[in-house]
Amino acid sequence: MSFSSLLSAQKAAPAPSVVQVLADELERNRKALAEADPKPYFISYQLFDLESQSVNASMGGITNSNANRNRILDVSVRVGSPALDNYRQIRGDRPRFAAAASVPIDGDLDTLRRRVWLETDRVYRAAAQRLINIKSNQQVKLDGDDKSADFSPAPPTQKSVSVPPLQFDRKKFEERARAWSAYFSGKPNVLASGVTVVAQREFKTIVNSEGTRLEFGRTYARILISAQGKAADGMNLFASETFEAESPSSLPDDKTVQAAVEKVYTKLTALLKAPLAEPANVPAILSGKAAGVFFHEIFGHRIEGHRQKDETEGQTFTKMVGQKILPDFLSVKMDPTLHKLAGTELYGWFDFDDEGVPARPVSVVKQGVLENFLMSRSPIQGFLESNGHGRKQPGAEVVSRQSNLVVESSRQYTPKQLREQLVEEIKKQQKPYGLYFEEVSSGFTITSRRGLQAFSVFPVMVYKVYADGRPDELVRGADIVGTPLTSFSKIAATSSEVTVFNGYCGAESGQVPVSASSPALLVTEIEIALRDRSLERPPFLGPPAGISGGVE
Amino acid sequence: MKRRIFLSFPALLAAQSTPSEDPLLKVMQGEMERAKSLSVVGGQPVYYMECSVDEVHSFSAQASLGGLINSRSNYFRLPGVGLRIGNMDFDNTNYLLSDLFQGTRYDQSQLPLENNLSALRHNFWLALDRAYKTAIEAIGRKKAALRNVTQSETLPDFSAAPPAKLLEPVAAWNLNEEIWKNLAKEWSLVFRNHPDIYDSTVDVEISRDTLFYANTYGAEVRMTEDLFYVRARANSQAPDGMVVRDSITVMSMGANQAPARETVRAEIAKVAANIDALRKAPAADSYNGPVLFEGLAAAQLFAEMIGGQAATVRQPVVEPGRPSPVSASDFEGRRGSRVLPTEFTVVDDPTQKTYRGRPLMGYYPVDQEGVKPEPVVLVEKGNWAGYLATRQPTRETKASNGHARLKGNFGANQAYISNLFVKAEGGVEPAALRQRFLEMLQQRNKPYGLLLRKLDFPSTGGLTELRQMFAGAGSRPVPFPLLAYKIYPDGREELVRGLRFRNMSSRALRDIIATGNDETQFDFIGNGAPLALVGAGNYIVGVSVVAPSVIFDDLELDRPQTELPKLPAVPPPPFSSI
Repeated sequence: MSFSSLLSAQKAAPAPSVVQVLADELERNRKALAEADPKPYFISYQLFDLESQSVNASMGGITNSNANRNRILDVSVRVGSPALDNYRQIRGDRPRFAAAASVPIDGDLDTLRRRVWLETDRVYRAAAQRLINIKSNQQVKLDGDDKSADFSPAPPTQKSVSVPPLQFDRKKFEERARAWSAYFSGKPNVLASGVTVVAQREFKTIVNSEGTRLEFGRTYARILISAQGKAADGMNLFASETFEAESPSSLPDDKTVQAAVEKVYTKLTALLKAPLAEPANVPAILSGKAAGVFFHEIFGHRIEGHRQKDETEGQTFTKMVGQKILPDFLSVKMDPTLHKLAGTELYGWFDFDDEGVPARPVSVVKQGVLENFLMSRSPIQGFLESNGHGRKQPGAEVVSRQSNLVVESSRQYTPKQLREQLVEEIKKQQKPYGLYFEEVSSGFTITSRRGLQAFSVFPVMVYKVYADGRPDELVRGADIVGTPLTSFSKIAATSSEVTVFNGYCGAESGQVPVSASSPALLVTEIEIALRDRSLERPPFLGPPAGISGGVE
Repeated sequence: MKRRIFLSFPALLAAQSTPSEDPLLKVMQGEMERAKSLSVVGGQPVYYMECSVDEVHSFSAQASLGGLINSRSNYFRLPGVGLRIGNMDFDNTNYLLSDLFQGTRYDQSQLPLENNLSALRHNFWLALDRAYKTAIEAIGRKKAALRNVTQSETLPDFSAAPPAKLLEPVAAWNLNEEIWKNLAKEWSLVFRNHPDIYDSTVDVEISRDTLFYANTYGAEVRMTEDLFYVRARANSQAPDGMVVRDSITVMSMGANQAPARETVRAEIAKVAANIDALRKAPAADSYNGPVLFEGLAAAQLFAEMIGGQAATVRQPVVEPGRPSPVSASDFEGRRGSRVLPTEFTVVDDPTQKTYRGRPLMGYYPVDQEGVKPEPVVLVEKGNWAGYLATRQPTRETKASNGHARLKGNFGANQAYISNLFVKAEGGVEPAALRQRFLEMLQQRNKPYGLLLRKLDFPSTGGLTELRQMFAGAGSRPVPFPLLAYKIYPDGREELVRGLRFRNMSSRALRDIIATGNDETQFDFIGNGAPLALVGAGNYIVGVSVVAPSVIFDDLELDRPQTELPKLPAVPPPPFSSI
């Protein structure tokens, strides 16, 4: 089958670049809309070129193996003025104009132009309508404490950073995933298990009416191994290991992953046999990874700039700039320019944020004192400019988000010393035991004023540590709970070894890759609560037997 | 996920069947055999089980104006299980929360693509365990719900049907995706000659679903269904702001039977021409009077008004005081009543493969419950005569006639049309029908009549539009006229836009006063949703409707008074010179 003559003729013509087409169409729309009422004062186009490759396997068989490529366009139009525009948040109503419109992946520029035009028209209409709503709302409601503008200036940036193509050896990863997942076959206590290998490439193009012309991006790669089981009392248990890297080629070798698969099984088996934890308030050590998640939840989300002017938010730290909020041996920075730390590739780096503002490290807490918030181009009192932390996933609107969170300590001890201090603390407080949080899966926090200003962190591997020299004892079913300000005041010391937690963070502007790195923390008090537990019986019948994993 | 077919079987004895040679079927049979002992451990008798795997290959490509928007190919296996406890008279199904499972799901939603027996067994083991737990909870709650109500009539929950055996060979899936990507692009170029069309897309979808099915009564099925379709959609605005849109679907049973590329292109070109014509057409005025539905429009109308209501629906048991989630068919309880003029007979016949040499889209050898389909006379000499049925008894149907085509709710399947033949005796040549229509206009002193050539069915309307349609209608929505023409007594035609039916219901069908002897075959993709709304429902099936042109004595149409969107403030970008 051949192309039509029309198509081949079109292919032959020298084509302008995507960035050029976007810029041209932006200018054409801007000019025409300058005659309209209200006229836009800012227009920007962001094009996401996304490529993903994934392989899923379970019990020695591939369940899915897919490649996908798409291009998504988000349009932003601001009408009114930077002081008051269509993006202002009216109590409880977050603006959303972007709609993740699909545009051609094969570089057909006429189709791209048309879709850009359609999206600009749609967003312009919605923007004009919302501005009227905001203005009427202003007449009937009181001002919030923060009277900041809606949009801050940022110098235009022009840069083109090339991103290497995604090199994903599908055959190889299919074979490996199949082999890795086969380990769980014939393990009767594993009810569900799987291995997933994912590789992604994202290439972003941003143009705006201020003259920004950017092309940049990065690649990601990840291996996830998981296994689930059910304890005799009905509790669902889960164990996992993940590897994150900048590209498929920097993923760990076969042996390392195989070892991780076996570790997942060992952890799950141990958990299935472990006794239940009981509610307690005891001294504890959080491993570096656990501490990373702890900081991400209780601290990181509360220094996101937009929360400081949102009247529905708890605003824990809004008025604490210049004050001590952490022990003075701790500093926290957010550094999207950092690619690697403690031998681990970090997930939260980028060259520019989703508003085209160059990434830069932000010192958030210095020696315990709050210095800064994470800023997008939405200004707040005292912080009038972006520090390159406006992030989002396609189809969402930018808010300020975390990048690579790094906790630094000047009160460092070796892991052994830290443990000795824990034992001392247990004795001092006359507690029956302390806790060691080795691994956590995730956490969440409520920052809204309507909710409790609290957080939860979900540990996977938690050990009771006894002061009398008995070996540590794995327990299951404990969640860490707490409130932010109290929890910070309980941090007593840290270890000298930093570890990294990589993952995805979900909030108003969608899922964004982040990391959190920290040394292990000794806390004098931590509260654990019982986890919600399934009361459903394990399967009535035993697992099928008699067939030995053969493939027909 | 395309068509699905499940087979089920008779009721009486759980025959011990010899295990199948097919590894997938063998695994299912083995795990069902083991699960029979669930009755012992759980204390509630399992009287019926079924397992299935839909092995799906699918490819889709979407293009616009010569650019490829995306293309996807997928290969996956979806497992399914069904399990009934109690007995046919009273079991865990037909209850509002029959499908509700509150535990943790450990069986996977996609099975390994290789026949890795231990992984497959493991999954069916856990899936049946989950189905059993769901069934125990459901039957308990159902009994509790019934404690405090008096049922006006009690129907059994399941009915017997002979088990099917059908083992088709599985052919290799070989698709040259590049060809279809390029064709999608090429076809989408049709719209480049129409700069006033705002947005246009061409979708190519090709899929093969191989169903593996086994149950505890010995049914064994392996059958493959191929589906191919191209759908083109386009929209624009008329100068007054009214949104105009049109779409076309060209389909066949598989890519190897796809229509010639020029044929597809010509059909797509009609969509483009229609949009251009509609943009320029005047907005219509309200109209009262006779309406001539030409072949396609008549077939579309019958598809919705007869086809959409040819099955009766079982009301599930609900807790006292809760409203029933299911609305009855217009034709329920009307067996023997007049629904069409006496000249009409309507038959749904899934056993026909072709009609006058042209393939029919609604053919299937066995339905989703493994029942061999039978033709069903829905309307005989104008009177309602029968209903499409599954194995789930309803007030109107006691046994299956093999029409379980879609997945239903509350543990049941949904009956749906296949090949719907609408025939009328005494029809006249289309030219004579038109002449008769013109004469009627003169007799009634009408300045003009209304001629409909195409309705919006399957509808490609957006959510907003649909909400308006449901809100205003009060009852079932009726597809609106897409191509409506004023026809003057001298035979002159003028396209108008914006008309909607008013107070149109199945009762209007009795007011057909004349029919043609023409037969238009209309193929579409059905999904059980009102107006066969494109994008609704997870399951799709092919349907063909054959119908004559008809004249309705008196219908009301008007143009709703809604605010029209403004035209874009910026003109569309010009196309680069090519």
